[in-house]
Amino acid sequence: MKCYCSPRRYNYQRGEKRSSCEAKPKQTMKYISKGPDETKEIGFRLGRLLRPGDVVGLYGELGSGKTTLVKGIARALGIEDKDIVSASFTIIADYNTTPPFSHIDLYRIEKDSELDDIGFWDQIGSDSISVIEWAEKAEGRLPEKMVKVRLKSLGEEMREITIEGRNEKDWDNL
Amino acid sequence: MSLILGIDTSCDDTTAAVVENGTKVLSNIVSNQTEVHKKYGGIVPELASRRHIEMIWPVVDEALKAANIKLEDLSGVAACHGPGLIGSLLVGCSFAKALCYSKGIPLVAVNHLEGHIFSCFLSERGPVGETEFPPRTPSFPFLALIVSGGHTCLYRVDDFGKYRELGRTRDDAAGEAYDKVSKLLGLGYPGGPIIEKIAQDGNPKAIDFPRAYLPESFDFSFSGLKTAVLNFVKEQRAESREQRVNDIAASFQASIIDVLVRKTEWAIKKEGIKRVVLTGGVAANRELRRRMKEMGDEREVEIFTPSASFCTDNAAMIASAGYYHLEAGDTVGLDLNPKAYMPL
Repeated sequence: MKCYCSPRRYNYQRGEKRSSCEAKPKQTMKYISKGPDETKEIGFRLGRLLRPGDVVGLYGELGSGKTTLVKGIARALGIEDKDIVSASFTIIADYNTTPPFSHIDLYRIEKDSELDDIGFWDQIGSDSISVIEWAEKAEGRLPEKMVKVRLKSLGEEMREITIEGRNEKDWDNL
Repeated sequence: MSLILGIDTSCDDTTAAVVENGTKVLSNIVSNQTEVHKKYGGIVPELASRRHIEMIWPVVDEALKAANIKLEDLSGVAACHGPGLIGSLLVGCSFAKALCYSKGIPLVAVNHLEGHIFSCFLSERGPVGETEFPPRTPSFPFLALIVSGGHTCLYRVDDFGKYRELGRTRDDAAGEAYDKVSKLLGLGYPGGPIIEKIAQDGNPKAIDFPRAYLPESFDFSFSGLKTAVLNFVKEQRAESREQRVNDIAASFQASIIDVLVRKTEWAIKKEGIKRVVLTGGVAANRELRRRMKEMGDEREVEIFTPSASFCTDNAAMIASAGYYHLEAGDTVGLDLNPKAYMPL
């Protein structure tokens, strides 16, 4: 597992500050995972940075490792690996953790209006942490501050994982 | 005589049924059955709790009418409270609660998976029924393999209410793999019947797709198989892909069935149990039934497969499990809340 790009960072310790007029850079992290275990590990580290109200959107085709990554994220909240399975069928799976955790999978959603029907909007935000697979199905309606994770297959078990977060210093610790 | 009204809205179908004494199905209504939706026109959309709201009264009404009984005749109402789509579950549960409150009828809550296990005790009467009455039912203990679009799990059932999970899927359910493979092959939904059909014209040995036996446990995993099919399809040129679609379907199905049958066989050996119930939507697959029976014959194990209409989601199985809950005095209050995730 290797971190490839880290765009301009500010050394907060040295008191370096962004000028207020400067646009905040979007920080992007790119990882190469060699298999499901590494994907889970990346998920776990991302999971530890999440706070109540956070929404994570996962993008990537069938078999790119989205559910595997969710297993890692959920582990950071104390949920066992085996308790996270594909949510394509139930669409929403809730966990009574602190903060509450929602695993959402929009694979079967075809029309935008269906999101309203399934109680999607009651589910995300507030004090819970939500991870949304196939987030592109709700594109444009999700919170701007969402963390975006893109997964891409590089053949067999290799995956490229790109995390686009908010511009917070938290990400330096990922 | 105990008459239970079962209600299950855990997924796409609105279902209601009346069952006598936990076994005899007096009516079993599924919303996408023609009688009901003919009246309302159109097909029940894939996902719509709104549609459940529109359908719940007519479906319950139909169930009571077909059973030739009135609400006042009911001994109890059994509602499925999970696992399933939360918005959909809420409709069935709220309806059941209101019904019980207004008529003073006891309410019981049934786990959808428990319902599936109880489908093996059901039987219809009359000439339309596929099964005889009384049904050939397993004695305890038995193993139950539930395979559907949302679940793939193996239980040891020692008695009513005594279930031990031996294993379950770590990622995708078997039926979900069928649906996803069907979609990536450009075939329709639901994938199960479509793939089963074209697989008949394919060679199950044509492509050696992986089989995740996970020998250290009774868990299942079908996500890797789905990815393997996707990778295989991507490597094919368009024209050869079309020629080979039957082979892909047959080889994919062979992989799923091999794993399901082999793992059941292992469980039989380890638990020393000679009775297996095969149920859930995927259990309607004829090839799976045939292969499971074949294994059963070899090992002198009795295989019980409910008729297809009881394998797929239905409310009769909920009413059946509800009957045993009611007998045990296990009723619930009006504070019943459904849950999307609810292991048995």
